[in-house]
Amino acid sequence: MTWTLALPELVLAIAGLVILVAGVLPKQETFFPVSMACIGSLLLAAVLVLGQPEGTALGGHYVADDFSGFMKLLAIGGAAIGILLSLDYNTKEGLGRFEFPLLMLLATIGMMVMISANDLLSLYLGLELLSLPLYVIAAFNRDSARSAEAGLKYFVLGALASGLLLYGSSLVYGFAGTTNFDRLADAFSADSGVTAGVVVGIVFVIAGLAFKVSAVPFHMWTPDVYEGAPTPVTAFFAAAPKVAAIALLARVLVGPFGDLAGQWQQVITLVSLGSMTLGGFAAIGQRNIKRLMAYSSIGHVGYALMGLAVANDVGLRGLLVYMAIYVAMNLGTFAVLIAMRRKGRAVEQVEDLAGLGRTDLGTAVWMAVFMFSMAGIPPLAGFFGKLYVFLAAVQAGFWTLAVVGVLTSVVSAYYYLRIVKVMFFDAPAGALDPAPASLTVVMAASGLFTLFFVLWPAPLLAAAQAAAAALLG
Amino acid sequence: MFVGAIFFPLLGACISGFLGRWIGDKAAQWSTVICMVLAAICGSLAFGQVALSGHPVTVEIVTWMDVGGLEFAWALRYDTLAAVMVAMVTFISTLIHLYSVGYMSHDETPSRFFAYLSLFTFMMLMLVTADNLAQLFFGWEGVGLASYLLIGYWYDRESANRAAMKAFIVNRVGDVSFMLGVALTFYVFGSIEFDTIFAAVPQHLEDRFGGIPALELIGVLLFIGACGKSAQLGLHTWLPDAMEGPTPVSALIHAATMVTAGVFLVCRMSPVFEYAPTALAVVTVVGASTALFAATIGCVQNDIKRVIAYSTCSQLGYMFFAAGVGAYQVAMFHLFTHAFFKALLFLGAGSVIHAMSDEQDIRKMGGIWSKIPITYAVMWIGNLALAGIPFFAGYYSKDAILEAAFASHSGVGMYAFLCGMIAAFLTAFYSWRLLILTFHGAPRADHHTMEHVHESPAVMLIPLLLLAVGAVLTGYIFAPLFIGEHEHGFWHGAILNAEHNHILHAMHEVPAWVPLAPTVMGIGGIALAYVFYMLAPGIPGRLATAFRGLYLFLLNKWYFDELYDAIFVRPARRLAMVFWKTGDAQIIDGMPNGAASLAVGVARGAVRIQTGRVANYAFAMIIGLVVFVSLFLIGR
Amino acid sequence: MTQPLLAEYFPILVFLAIAGGIALAMVGGSLLLARQKPNAEKLSAYECGFEPFDDTRRRFDVRFYLVAILFIIFDLEVAFLFPWAVSLGGIGWFGFLSMIAFLGVLTVGFIYEWRKGALDWE
Repeated sequence: MTWTLALPELVLAIAGLVILVAGVLPKQETFFPVSMACIGSLLLAAVLVLGQPEGTALGGHYVADDFSGFMKLLAIGGAAIGILLSLDYNTKEGLGRFEFPLLMLLATIGMMVMISANDLLSLYLGLELLSLPLYVIAAFNRDSARSAEAGLKYFVLGALASGLLLYGSSLVYGFAGTTNFDRLADAFSADSGVTAGVVVGIVFVIAGLAFKVSAVPFHMWTPDVYEGAPTPVTAFFAAAPKVAAIALLARVLVGPFGDLAGQWQQVITLVSLGSMTLGGFAAIGQRNIKRLMAYSSIGHVGYALMGLAVANDVGLRGLLVYMAIYVAMNLGTFAVLIAMRRKGRAVEQVEDLAGLGRTDLGTAVWMAVFMFSMAGIPPLAGFFGKLYVFLAAVQAGFWTLAVVGVLTSVVSAYYYLRIVKVMFFDAPAGALDPAPASLTVVMAASGLFTLFFVLWPAPLLAAAQAAAAALLG
Repeated sequence: MFVGAIFFPLLGACISGFLGRWIGDKAAQWSTVICMVLAAICGSLAFGQVALSGHPVTVEIVTWMDVGGLEFAWALRYDTLAAVMVAMVTFISTLIHLYSVGYMSHDETPSRFFAYLSLFTFMMLMLVTADNLAQLFFGWEGVGLASYLLIGYWYDRESANRAAMKAFIVNRVGDVSFMLGVALTFYVFGSIEFDTIFAAVPQHLEDRFGGIPALELIGVLLFIGACGKSAQLGLHTWLPDAMEGPTPVSALIHAATMVTAGVFLVCRMSPVFEYAPTALAVVTVVGASTALFAATIGCVQNDIKRVIAYSTCSQLGYMFFAAGVGAYQVAMFHLFTHAFFKALLFLGAGSVIHAMSDEQDIRKMGGIWSKIPITYAVMWIGNLALAGIPFFAGYYSKDAILEAAFASHSGVGMYAFLCGMIAAFLTAFYSWRLLILTFHGAPRADHHTMEHVHESPAVMLIPLLLLAVGAVLTGYIFAPLFIGEHEHGFWHGAILNAEHNHILHAMHEVPAWVPLAPTVMGIGGIALAYVFYMLAPGIPGRLATAFRGLYLFLLNKWYFDELYDAIFVRPARRLAMVFWKTGDAQIIDGMPNGAASLAVGVARGAVRIQTGRVANYAFAMIIGLVVFVSLFLIGR
Repeated sequence: MTQPLLAEYFPILVFLAIAGGIALAMVGGSLLLARQKPNAEKLSAYECGFEPFDDTRRRFDVRFYLVAILFIIFDLEVAFLFPWAVSLGGIGWFGFLSMIAFLGVLTVGFIYEWRKGALDWE
């Protein structure tokens, strides 16, 4: 048996079960040790991913290659930092229950299964394993109506999306006679005329995954859920699951449906255009900063999907680089948002940041770095993320995408820079509580990455290149 | 060792800059000093291995950028040229750090000062060890930034801020040209790594760009960049103003190291310049003119630091025309010796200023030599070296430059030789004018100041004494290596002299009067200054009234600042006003304001869809799905 | 027989008919033979149940829901166990251990709900 290939997932799953038992047995609350154990297991899994050989396993359901390695590391990193971000917040908000990091851990296993999926069934399995914990943690603050509403909305719409995905899968299975990605690819490359059923199935699959990455028009849940869920949950939502879903989307479209690229490219192009535009415009009027970040994340997904729409190695490299940079700066931004507390209460309006430059210069500077980077201002990392996808789009002749991308990033610069303006030029709205060390560390780490990516981009580029090459085969 | 020499200063800068607030000023200061000492040890060892034992190395750190055809790395290129600079920069910088501990003892934020100073050192080392033009540019801009920060260090002074901005902006003019030069290099050679460029020069001799030989154009563009950094005629106006910075800064940046970056650049690019005779002629003429021009101004200035600043400007002119006639080794030698005695002069001037309670005008000094004997002695040594009096450091290098200019047997060479001769005379004159007015005669300062005249503390005197030793000995010790019989083995190919270039041999075969002439000029200048300011102090005043026009012309620095103000600054300001009032406020602002209100409208519309009802959301998803499916089926 | 597939399901049809017959006989028997004296208390739903025809937004005790969910989980487990037990000879040790692992996961879940007090009524 080749099941040892899936060692990272297996180890993580067993660790999850052990931690669950160990966490529930003691009489007192075990939030902190369980969090640490979860981060530790995630790091262990990351090490295992690094040492993972290439190949397929579990009857062709599972594949490990450079692409899965790259994406898994991103997802694991996002999850580990997500847990780190929740430590302080959850304790202060009375959400310090040990199930929280465990659910994140389980969701991470789901992501890893998704990323390594080589079959429509393992895809679905991973997706559900990801989604179920997410429904729960979205509603984790169960005494808050907003949080419960967020969880419920996410659950209902997520179930709909899962249904679409499953229906699409069954259509594909019905017309192609297999669910294995490799054999699907063979079937579509051999058969010149593709039936309408398969096409409809692909669209349904895309829809199901587009829901997870919150791309237009399947984004509707995003603002409400981002706003309602506890902030660390939002941070987690915006980072790790997006990586996994984008990875899956890329693998499904480029892998089994690679020969139908001409067909799905226009759908992805439309999705990308819609996401960029909506992300650029809708955030302008937002006063709640979490809601603003929700629209911002929709916009970023639009930029990333631009790389997928191009569907060649340059485009995929752009996509991967974009996701890596996006995760880094997003986690940093959310570290700042989580640190936003005044007199012990969490605040989340843009105005609450007013005068931060005078009351807490360090945090304000990091926030400014993230905002400039998200707006794509050189020489920060966000600029390079955009540069690589725009470059790919222009080289492949996708002029509409590139032009709209540039225009919407100008529009989005408005609201990013408004935050900087509020922080540095508005009268202070009263000092925020000092940020705890765990958040400062995350801010500084991702801030330094964002700042100094320009000096040493080569390793990330090389890894993304290798991953893109692995995906294209 | 190689890496250490470069990165210890950065470490020091980080400690002092980021941790200074927590560890206290004392710890911050001394940590930078310790880092600099370590760097200096590394630098000297590197100099020993690379230059003396002849083992050039390149230390690759990481690949920096790989975009399209452009690929280059962070790498430290240690050949003799770089090693000389590294050893010199780390050594002098260490002394100046040490000196600053005493000089800045009354300052409020010394940790900031030391962080800047170390940062500057790091950037300078980055510049000289660059392996490619991009890294060199990084260092180039880095030292510009550090210079800006340090000139404007006392940011509550209006004049310091203005000087800092002026330095930065004037440098920018040169930098544009430098960038164009780099771009053209990449265009012609397809690479910006030195090894690749130098190896490819022979294949590109005939290349033309816009009808002009490409190598010539590259040479001239890079030289204009060098002019900005090295304060050559036309772009020199920032240097005297830069004296607003603390004196150790003037010594380190605006005398010993940064301003010589331009000379270094020309020497570094010698394989290109060797095949660009016109560019070299331009270098020679500009260098020679600067040497003379700055010396004339130096004769009438009254600010002790400005006199030395113009002297720096003039000496840089010497280096440039030495390089211009093809004697790069000689230029580097003068750069090397000049660093010692000019740093010495500046630090000595700093010691005087310190003693005189921050007085800088030499008309208000005098009669203090017996109170600060050590400073007085080292100032003598520095001036002797500067004037090129035999057996002091400047004698060897300046003589060699003038011999090289004479031996080049070309029109521009002779022009340079003449300018250099006159400048040598003037140099000696203004040096002794400075010396006499500062230290001799009746005290012209008020009582209060005179009572407080005191010798500087040991932490300031030790660097002075070490530099004085350098100003005496470096010429004698290093002359054989840099320009004498061991020259070939020493440089080890770091500087290229093309086959047609025999200047290093020719300069030893000039008529016997040529080596003697600079010394005679120097002594003549000293004598004249002695007559004017010791024996018959009335003469300068009478001369100034007799030749009032000339005097004002010199005093106002040839009206360069006024000229630039009239030609560039004011028209630019007027143009800017026009652009601002009509172009920006009406046209440009009008468009985005319209676009912005449009964007807000779109945003409102987009948000309105967001009703908060799950059913509506699900409906949107289904509609999207239907649209995609139909699009797919129709588009098939 | 013309349709062999349907023929295979014939025993099930018989089974269904017998089951339906017995159920009908029991309910019908009690309807015919027993004495009917209904009152409000007798006509109300059992304490664990809900009114079958009523407003869906009525409050109910969440503990019923919890028990039902737990029941379904273990019910499904049994549903998995049947085909596994039947095909155990064919799937070998790997199949056996897979099910053991599955049961192990369920056991962990069981420990969790037990410790969390989901099994205590009060």
